[in-house]
Amino acid sequence: MGHTVLVCDDAIFMRTMIADILAAAGYEVIGEAETGAQAVQKYRELKPDLVTMDIVMPDMGGIDAVREICKDDPDAKVLMCSAMGQQALVVEAIQAGAKDFVVKPFQPSRVLEAVQRVLG
Amino acid sequence: MDLAKYAALFVSESREHLQSCNQLLLAWERDPEATAPVDGLFRAVHSLKGMAATMGFTPLAELAHRAENLLDAVRGGKLAVKPEHFELLFRSVDELEDGVARATTGKGLRPEAASLVKALDAAVRISEKPAEPARSGKAGKPGKTGESAAKLEKAEKAEKAAAKDERPSLDVKITVRSDALLRGARALLALRKAEALGVVSRVTPQVSELEREDFDGKLAFRVKTAAAPSEVDAVIRSAGDIAGVAIDLASDEQTVDATALRQIRIDLARLDALMKLAGELVVARNRLVELARGSTDPELGQLGERISRLVGSVQSEVLEARLTPVREVFDRFPRVVRDLARDLGRQVRLEVEGGDIELDRAVLDEVADPLVHLVRNAIDHGIEPPRDRVKAGKPAEGRLRLSASRERNSVAIRVADDGRGIDRSKILAKAKAEGLVDAAAEFLADDQLLRILSRSGFSTAAVISGVSGRGVGVDVVMTRIRQLGGAVELVSEPGQGTAFVLRVPLTLAIVRSLLVQVGSERYVVPLNYVSETIEFSATPVTALGDREALVIREQPAPTVHLYRLLSVEGAATTGRRPVLVVQVGERRSALVVDALLGQQEIVVEPFDAPRGMPGWFSGATILADGAPALILDAAALV
Repeated sequence: MGHTVLVCDDAIFMRTMIADILAAAGYEVIGEAETGAQAVQKYRELKPDLVTMDIVMPDMGGIDAVREICKDDPDAKVLMCSAMGQQALVVEAIQAGAKDFVVKPFQPSRVLEAVQRVLG
Repeated sequence: MDLAKYAALFVSESREHLQSCNQLLLAWERDPEATAPVDGLFRAVHSLKGMAATMGFTPLAELAHRAENLLDAVRGGKLAVKPEHFELLFRSVDELEDGVARATTGKGLRPEAASLVKALDAAVRISEKPAEPARSGKAGKPGKTGESAAKLEKAEKAEKAAAKDERPSLDVKITVRSDALLRGARALLALRKAEALGVVSRVTPQVSELEREDFDGKLAFRVKTAAAPSEVDAVIRSAGDIAGVAIDLASDEQTVDATALRQIRIDLARLDALMKLAGELVVARNRLVELARGSTDPELGQLGERISRLVGSVQSEVLEARLTPVREVFDRFPRVVRDLARDLGRQVRLEVEGGDIELDRAVLDEVADPLVHLVRNAIDHGIEPPRDRVKAGKPAEGRLRLSASRERNSVAIRVADDGRGIDRSKILAKAKAEGLVDAAAEFLADDQLLRILSRSGFSTAAVISGVSGRGVGVDVVMTRIRQLGGAVELVSEPGQGTAFVLRVPLTLAIVRSLLVQVGSERYVVPLNYVSETIEFSATPVTALGDREALVIREQPAPTVHLYRLLSVEGAATTGRRPVLVVQVGERRSALVVDALLGQQEIVVEPFDAPRGMPGWFSGATILADGAPALILDAAALV
């Protein structure tokens, strides 16, 4: 069975795209969240193997969500999805516990490389 | 590992951290929006926790951990900081300070610490509620405690491992691919990977620089790890987008840091011992030089000179090593002032200047308490409550200035407030009642005022507060500073404020002095306070009030005939005699002696004046010929 993934992004477009890339590679998307708070809650419920996390989301941003998630589970594998020019935010996210990041616009191969690295 | 030998280091380093905690807390309290103090506090408390855990001082580590949790909650934006949090943190720092001292004597925290731990936990728990709506308080609590204990255990283990780390150090240089996106973030990932392998240090550029868009993709650091270089290489490359990794076994740490100032910590007792030996060496040298002078052997003379120079160098090196910036003492005051101002309902802005001025460690230690007295007095009696200040047309916030400046061979430390000034009429009335001044006196000059205030037990405070006003203030200050061979000065203006100046010698141990003769006795006068020497009969004699005085540089200075003052028999009482002009601050007097015997460097010996001995002496010494002599207290003579 493939690894389970929780996809967090406030844009349906992005969620769909990430889910498609991952599903095509054999991963199982078991949940989606559109806010940071939802992400934290769903992480607790679903215990996914991997989380993809947008940085800027309403109602608790991605960085705070990472912090919350990693507080519960320091080994949580969170992959940040960032836009160009968000270096400072990504650095902060890594310090908060994110394990890797990908930069939008996504190239499927890059996303999958990062996912494989994180799931190691 | 024998932990006992690290105890001293633990204490001194912990104190440094806690000192900085106080500073940071004050800065933070002034500007609750600032993030730098919070981060600094977090790091300091975290370091302390690690050290305490390594030393096995579990309750101390636990308390630090709770404080760290609170800081972390604020830092993470989960908790908006409130005044009560500052109070909690200040209390924590105090408790930690106390705990550090107790821990080394094998004691745990004071019982009061338990309530503090509870309060800290409660503050943190509030911050967690909104983030965990699903979790009830009841279910959340045991989970939280268990988790923090587990975290603490983990941190403890890591610190323990680092302390006895004998793994090799590797210097690592990595380059992030030039086409990689967000290269700084990528470099940070590589760093995180390395951190999983061991203890990482010397990261260049700093992590904060990785956030910059112009980061050039090159990162260097050192990692202490048991992993083989090939393994380190593989782990770092697993961060992705890494173009190259260069790993070298670290060369000797010290040669790497050759440009940095190398420092070691020395127990102060060692320096004291060294100082004492240097002092004895000076006395021995003085005798040798005297002997050589009486000898006809030219080689002995040359050797004497050579040894003389060498001893001089040893002495100045030791003195240099003992110099400590006054900041070490000044740094306590922001906290002291804050607490006092709060307790007494005052608004006080503290201004500190001259923290870089250096003093002998021993002098500095002696000055600390008197300064605390003066600062307390200034806030308690000097600076008025805000309402009174506004009524008097002054800003509600009082100003307290603490400054140090170098003056020849002494350092002047000033404590000045812009408060109400000393109430001279009240002091005058009380002084008259106690018979300290003439009943007809109408005014007290600053020096009279100081003399009266420094009488043991003299206080006019109507109410004895917990802060000052017990009548142990100025007299304690005066006694301590005099014992150092220093002097105290006072300037007070009604409504404008009060300033105390403490003049202390740079060092205690070795004093350049003038040796004088009166009758058959010899006395020592520290050169610090001798502004010039003149001849008695060549100078016009006049009167200053009812005292004999000499006109020196167009100003009268009262004479002090040492033979009379010290009841010395057989002294010259007439004719041409040398006079030392002794000056302390603005005050001068003309000291009439029989003969000047020359300069000598003397080593001040501890001196317990016998009861009933007049207070003209500040210490004793052994002269070059081995005979003892008393050191005159310049401040008492002017």
